[in-house]
Amino acid sequence: MDMGILAQHLFNGLMLGMVYAMIAVGFSLFFGVLDVIKFSHGDVVSVGAFAALGGASAIGLLVDMPGLSLLFGLLAAIAVGGLAGVVIGGTLVLPLRNAPPVNVLLVTLMAGTILREAIRLGVPNGGNPKPFPVLLPQWQITAGSFSIGFDSVLILIAGIGIILATHLLITRTRIGLAIRAVAQDVDVARLAGIDFRRTVLGTFALGSALASVAGLMLGLYYREVNFSMGLVLGVIGFAAAVVGGLGSLLGPILGGFLFAFVQTLVTIVLPTASAYKDVVAFGVVIALIGLFPTGLIAERSSERV
Amino acid sequence: MKLKALALALAGLAGLATVGLQVAQAKDTVKIAFIGPLTGGSAAAGVGGRNSALLAVQQRNADPAAKYTYDLVVLDDECKPNVGVQVATKAASDRAITAGITHYCSAVGIATVDTYAKFKLPVVVWGAILPEITYGNDYKQIHRVNGTMINEGRLAAKFLTEQGAKTFVVIHDTTDYGKGQNKYFSEFLKPTGGEIVATFPVSPDQQDFTAELTRIKELKPDYVFVGGLTPLGVRVRSQMDRLGIDAHMAGVSGIMTSGFIEGAAQSSEGTVSFHNGAPLSRYASGQAFSDAYAKAGFREDPDAYGPFAYSAANLIMDAVEKVGPDRAKITEVLNGTKGYKALVGEINFDNHRQNIVDANVYVVQDGKWVYWPDSDYGTGKRKLAGK
Amino acid sequence: MRSTNLDAAIATGAPPQARSLPGTAAAILVPLAAFGALAGLLQVHEQWETGLLVLAFLAALVLLDRSRAGRSLAEACRTQSGIASTSAVLAALALLWTFREDHYSLLMVATVALYAVAGVGLNIQMAFGGIANFAAAAFFSIGAYTAAVLAGHTGLPHLLVLAAGGVVSALIGVVMLLPVLRTRGHYVALVTIAFGVLLRTLLEVNDTFGGPQGMKIPGFAPFGSDFGDVATIAGFDVSFYLPYALAAAALFALAFLAGRMLERSWVGIAMDAVRTDEIAASAFGLSPARWKATAFLTGNVLIGVAGALYGMMNGFVNPNGAGFGESLIMLSIIVLGGLGNFWGAIVAGAVIIILPEKLQSIQEYRLLIFAVVVIAILRFRPGGILPRPLRTLGRQQGGAS
Repeated sequence: MDMGILAQHLFNGLMLGMVYAMIAVGFSLFFGVLDVIKFSHGDVVSVGAFAALGGASAIGLLVDMPGLSLLFGLLAAIAVGGLAGVVIGGTLVLPLRNAPPVNVLLVTLMAGTILREAIRLGVPNGGNPKPFPVLLPQWQITAGSFSIGFDSVLILIAGIGIILATHLLITRTRIGLAIRAVAQDVDVARLAGIDFRRTVLGTFALGSALASVAGLMLGLYYREVNFSMGLVLGVIGFAAAVVGGLGSLLGPILGGFLFAFVQTLVTIVLPTASAYKDVVAFGVVIALIGLFPTGLIAERSSERV
Repeated sequence: MKLKALALALAGLAGLATVGLQVAQAKDTVKIAFIGPLTGGSAAAGVGGRNSALLAVQQRNADPAAKYTYDLVVLDDECKPNVGVQVATKAASDRAITAGITHYCSAVGIATVDTYAKFKLPVVVWGAILPEITYGNDYKQIHRVNGTMINEGRLAAKFLTEQGAKTFVVIHDTTDYGKGQNKYFSEFLKPTGGEIVATFPVSPDQQDFTAELTRIKELKPDYVFVGGLTPLGVRVRSQMDRLGIDAHMAGVSGIMTSGFIEGAAQSSEGTVSFHNGAPLSRYASGQAFSDAYAKAGFREDPDAYGPFAYSAANLIMDAVEKVGPDRAKITEVLNGTKGYKALVGEINFDNHRQNIVDANVYVVQDGKWVYWPDSDYGTGKRKLAGK
Repeated sequence: MRSTNLDAAIATGAPPQARSLPGTAAAILVPLAAFGALAGLLQVHEQWETGLLVLAFLAALVLLDRSRAGRSLAEACRTQSGIASTSAVLAALALLWTFREDHYSLLMVATVALYAVAGVGLNIQMAFGGIANFAAAAFFSIGAYTAAVLAGHTGLPHLLVLAAGGVVSALIGVVMLLPVLRTRGHYVALVTIAFGVLLRTLLEVNDTFGGPQGMKIPGFAPFGSDFGDVATIAGFDVSFYLPYALAAAALFALAFLAGRMLERSWVGIAMDAVRTDEIAASAFGLSPARWKATAFLTGNVLIGVAGALYGMMNGFVNPNGAGFGESLIMLSIIVLGGLGNFWGAIVAGAVIIILPEKLQSIQEYRLLIFAVVVIAILRFRPGGILPRPLRTLGRQQGGAS
């Protein structure tokens, strides 16, 4: 295999891993503050993609300025995704905080179904895939057999930037401090004067906005969005978060890139068996959990007596 | 006396006339089931089929010459085999239902054949194209008006090699549908000298194909052949563009939808597909169907298989007109269908009650699926982009 | 929350209430009313009738919970569970006999009963063992695939085929034991999700077991004669689904009894202890791994047996049935029914399996409405439709049961 193709594969894998990581980080954040799994998270990705599509198209109808369309698409994705997170968190997850965890899982799964069906029934012909407008410059970077769109590079850089920014937000700011405090010990955090409800909802907004922006980036990258795109991504994001270690920030990022790496590797090494790539990837997940029961980067306090 | 007799006779006549009128007004109602996917990913095709069958029924009910009033019982199989068996049982065990227009999804179509045979409900398949539905059994109750994927695969292999293509890569989904398409295309390609350089089985809900397509880029095939439904086709087509792959793309009838063109937008141009139906404009009564469909005010398009559902409905209703609402007799009439004039052309059932159909080639030209011989590409005015 | 259940029960050690005549009447009537409602649901055709029935059902739930009369009714059924169960069995038989010629209704009832058997198994895993199994449909399908291979290709008697469905399902579960036992909570959930996705993909991609088309399964013929050929019983014309429905109901009764015995034995107490507090339980000499493994494998046996009979009834099995979505349906049934309550699985099974079929005319909007209903129930009734009753250890100590 020549270097160009190898580089191309590497780039594809990085791109995929970045998207998985952005989704997985949300799972980890929610688990950190509330010890819950919010399974509608994958569908928030689709909601974000469609919100961005709506925002960008609306501007596109008024003026022909891709940059402005992109900005509005981004704002729409952040606003709608964050709102979805706050609404689901506030009306479904927080009130069920003392119910068995599986109830929360089921309720949020159903909330995801509602989001998904709402897109399918609410968008005209929503059952079919929708094209995403081209909003980034279309230059090609070519070197031998390696050819890559300039927009792909931009998307990758933006994604990594967003993940870094989230990391800084959690570790370096007061909001981050509050989130970390709630994650560590709710009661002590309350005593220290942290508004529990606001912190939790803020975390839900942050995690959901991340997933929502991931939806926008998927639209830009694949140039196509559809109502069920979040379903598989949700499962993979969850897997990545758990394998990496719930509750930490680095874990899910690691998990995301690992999952993408395994999937890409199977396609390269065993092209005729590429259909087995999910079998292998999930097999690796099971094996890793067997070896590292609390994730690659273990939870700070896995035992809460 | 004479007067009295006359009066009596008149009264009798009037009485007879009223009875006759009542008979004309209260025709017996015959129930026919329509089963297809109305929710989920294949809903567009299912709803199109339902509308078309409904149109046939409405037209028949408006016809004073018809002996019966028809009632279409619509059921949703969700494109899931187990749900399909449930609704098939519901329809087949309901004695009031005399026949069925059944299934778009192949997996459901094959799972339900035993149920229909068991309850002796004559059905006409309107959309599922897995060969085994008719050829895998010898049930007298199962008929099919649309063709199978064998026709599509044979034509695809012949046509593409005639266009000068030598090397192919196949991407197909791992359902019955994609696997079957791959099987027949590969089989028919062998004698033509075409070569398949790689085959990628993928999950139907897979999003990212960049890994597969990067491999394909390396292999430089003339054609990428996609055996799957619209979402798969859209993703492969858009991502081929993204990676700068200059091979052509051909797909099976599963991508021949308006959804494909909408989803893949400008990159859909020049995509080739093979479908068992001819374009409506090629059918003798195609225009009449289009007009009636538009006039009936349905929200959704008839989709690629609507005309087949329409023809199946008429085929069944004609059988009922002939022998009455009796399952066994209808089965007999349907079995012997030869030279029946339908919207989709002449229907002739072979010894497995499978209609003999020819597949046709289509290409996307300026945002529309165009019959290949009518297209600028077919007449040589334009060349397919790429190499 | 469940730990407080246990504590409260041990603390009060509530002795069984004395039997009173109104209480007995209530214990007889409540199950009768429930099965009557089910019969009504099977009968209705019009949308407004279905809607009315759903409203009546929700109202009954609220009344049972919020009104004093309702609470005493529920209490009566709990204290006189023997009478209530007998009444339920008779009501179920009467229901089946009433619908003896109605293929479709019997198929739905049999499906509900078999999903409820799987629900008992899932309850043992989740409510007793504390293991979140998100791959129930995968194990259900393993049972059906086992039946396809053994009944289709060997001469093994069909009752043994059913048993084999359970055994194979448990054996494949063994593969997952190590990761399941080494971790807990959401990590276990992921292991089972991953297993479900993996199995489904494998069955579809690999052609050994028929690939995407799956396999055909011969009808259930436990004593030589195929259930599918049954047309009369004692001179009455019946649907061939009647014997299936009866077999499914019998299987549910067996699973119910087995589950109840397990719950009431020291095994059940050990499982409750391990689930509630692993560390405390090990301090008392209970091995968490052993009891979790027991719960997981026992549950799988029941799920596998149910799957084998379901496959034989439907006549086919394919990878679709093993998917994540199907597993969620099974999980929804037990959570909605009330974790740990076996009757709840029947009630919720009827809601989840039959209701969508009755909503056919709202076609495209069914899934949306279904999701809203499930959220509404869980939001306002976190314990499910029929919550698991408090464990009354006092009674066991007294030796009566």
